[in-house]
Amino acid sequence: MNISKRTFLAALPPVVFGLASCGKSSDSPAAPATSAGASKAAEKKKRFAFVTNGVDPFWNTASAGVRAAEKDFGIECQVLMPPKGLVDQQRMIESVLARGVDGIAISPCDAANQVGFLNDVAGRVPVITHDSDAPLSKRLCFVGMDNYKAGRAAGKLVKEILPSGGKVMLFVGRMEQLNSQQRRQGIIDEILDRPMQTLEKLDQDPLGRELPGGNFVVLDTRTDGFDYPKAKANAEDAMSRYQDLAGMIGLWAYNAPMCLEAAKAAGKVGKVKIVSFDEQEATLQGIIDGHIHGTVSQQPYYYGYDSVRILKEIAAGNRGVIPANGFFEIPIVEVRKANVEEFWQQLKKLQAAGA
Amino acid sequence: MKKLLGITALLLFIIVVTAIRNPDFLNGYNLQNLVRWTALFGFISIGAAFVIITGGIDLSIGSVVGLTGALLAILLTKNHWPVPVAMATVLAVSLGIGLAHGLLITKVGLQPFVVTLCGLLLYRGAARFITGDQSQGFGQQFEGLRRIAVSAVPVTPTFGIPVPSILLALVATVAGLLLHKTVWGRHLVALGGNEVAARYSGVGTDRIKIQAYAICGVMSGIAGILFSLDLNSIQPSGLGEFFELYAIAAAVLGGCTLRGGEGTIVGVLIGTALMRVLYNAINILGIPTHLEFAIIGAVILAGVVTDELVRKIANRKLG
Repeated sequence: MNISKRTFLAALPPVVFGLASCGKSSDSPAAPATSAGASKAAEKKKRFAFVTNGVDPFWNTASAGVRAAEKDFGIECQVLMPPKGLVDQQRMIESVLARGVDGIAISPCDAANQVGFLNDVAGRVPVITHDSDAPLSKRLCFVGMDNYKAGRAAGKLVKEILPSGGKVMLFVGRMEQLNSQQRRQGIIDEILDRPMQTLEKLDQDPLGRELPGGNFVVLDTRTDGFDYPKAKANAEDAMSRYQDLAGMIGLWAYNAPMCLEAAKAAGKVGKVKIVSFDEQEATLQGIIDGHIHGTVSQQPYYYGYDSVRILKEIAAGNRGVIPANGFFEIPIVEVRKANVEEFWQQLKKLQAAGA
Repeated sequence: MKKLLGITALLLFIIVVTAIRNPDFLNGYNLQNLVRWTALFGFISIGAAFVIITGGIDLSIGSVVGLTGALLAILLTKNHWPVPVAMATVLAVSLGIGLAHGLLITKVGLQPFVVTLCGLLLYRGAARFITGDQSQGFGQQFEGLRRIAVSAVPVTPTFGIPVPSILLALVATVAGLLLHKTVWGRHLVALGGNEVAARYSGVGTDRIKIQAYAICGVMSGIAGILFSLDLNSIQPSGLGEFFELYAIAAAVLGGCTLRGGEGTIVGVLIGTALMRVLYNAINILGIPTHLEFAIIGAVILAGVVTDELVRKIANRKLG
């Protein structure tokens, strides 16, 4: 891979327009058979697909879990990362169906509006959801965390680092996704000391309104549409607008690292407290350095691993693997300075094992 | 300069309204951020302007930003190339891309829209390929190098002049002199106004066009370097997306016409500043982010309509 990349780089300027056919993308089939004997064996292997909602380091960790499951269970699973959201996701799933698979795990980009499409897919092959659920569809089960609980966990981290309260701002890529909405509500409810809600009946606060409660004020939730420069500018503008901003909470993996970059440039590291989700390297490094208080990890490795395991069991006719309530919960891990080194080592080990 | 009247008035109007509604808009920290973002986007807007003045278009700017940003990170952190060599390579790649565009448009006779649309897809794909679709960054290393994007020369305790804006000032001065004070610049404008007439007058239209695309390529490369250093996190599938549209919008707001033959560097800088001030004002005024595109679209449309009306009235008075 390295040599081909170097050759590619060297050849880039002269052949700018002659490259269309070259390149190995993330959607090429995994574990290619190397010999004739192996390819015969591969024919009998069950084939699955693991579809993400975008391209992100988060999904690379999940992908490592898929690869590990492939080895453990002797199956094949394609990992598909749609670069442009819903339209790409639908296109990729359709092509997987055309090629033929024994089951698909999907993280729907827009659960509410994809029900029809997901039902159509579920009519052809077993479908499970992961990361973000589509409870109204005919998916067999959901593998993931309880995003509302995870939000409450992040809220607790905020209260830990800001015991006397203050103004906090939330940052996220998109609000259309169910997991963003549940996570956001969990954080708000926890910070404002409200009673616990359930995923089945979740009342949501409207966007664009200040929410006071106790010592805290949740100012707003700013979206960036998965655009990193915009994410950083949103954090900067929040610090401009609110000189007394006490905390910034990044709901998606890249949000807290962008908040940290903005805080560094503003000389406000440590002054504005940051709480994160997920485990980008910049986040973990930020926790080690004491610049980020903590993060809530959803353990995406197990999204990959357990999704494939469940699909394999379903394909083998073992429907008992499907939880009665349709929810296979992956526990969250709260990462603070005390356990960050250990967590990072473990993460690296898992990623290496799945490579 | 008459053409810039409307847009300058609009820029001042938004600044004044935002500052009245929230005085924090004028605090040093916010102004410094505004100047920095304007500078970062200024490079691609100037690049776009050169191409637009020839009557062409470059839709690949954002993808070149993504490719060069990712390439710089790989060369420095994975291949451990020395900084000057990595920088020179990245700029050479962006120059090569610009030259390729120019050659395909002039010598093969392809339409700029088609060539650069293919480029948009090609360079985005190339960025994702060379990185294996993994986010890139400079980590804790290269803090010194990153200063060319994130540091500022202090003026007051809260306000400093961001280094990218100093770089932009230099580049804009050179670009302005090139465009307005040299024979080459006059030929560029003439070619955009009427290519056939310019050719019959002895202007080497192909050569100038190729050079314009090369300038746009290099500007995108410089922006790619600065954006990647500024963010310290480069998403190969996302960095730079839609930047070509921001650049084109800024150039057009600043007085370039898509028919070619018109445009000033000062205007382009004002256009870029207007775009960034709008984004900033929306956050500072606490307007929900989902209204952002709608507001920016509406304000720009209002701006160009006002501009056109002011010009018509002015022309009628003159006539």
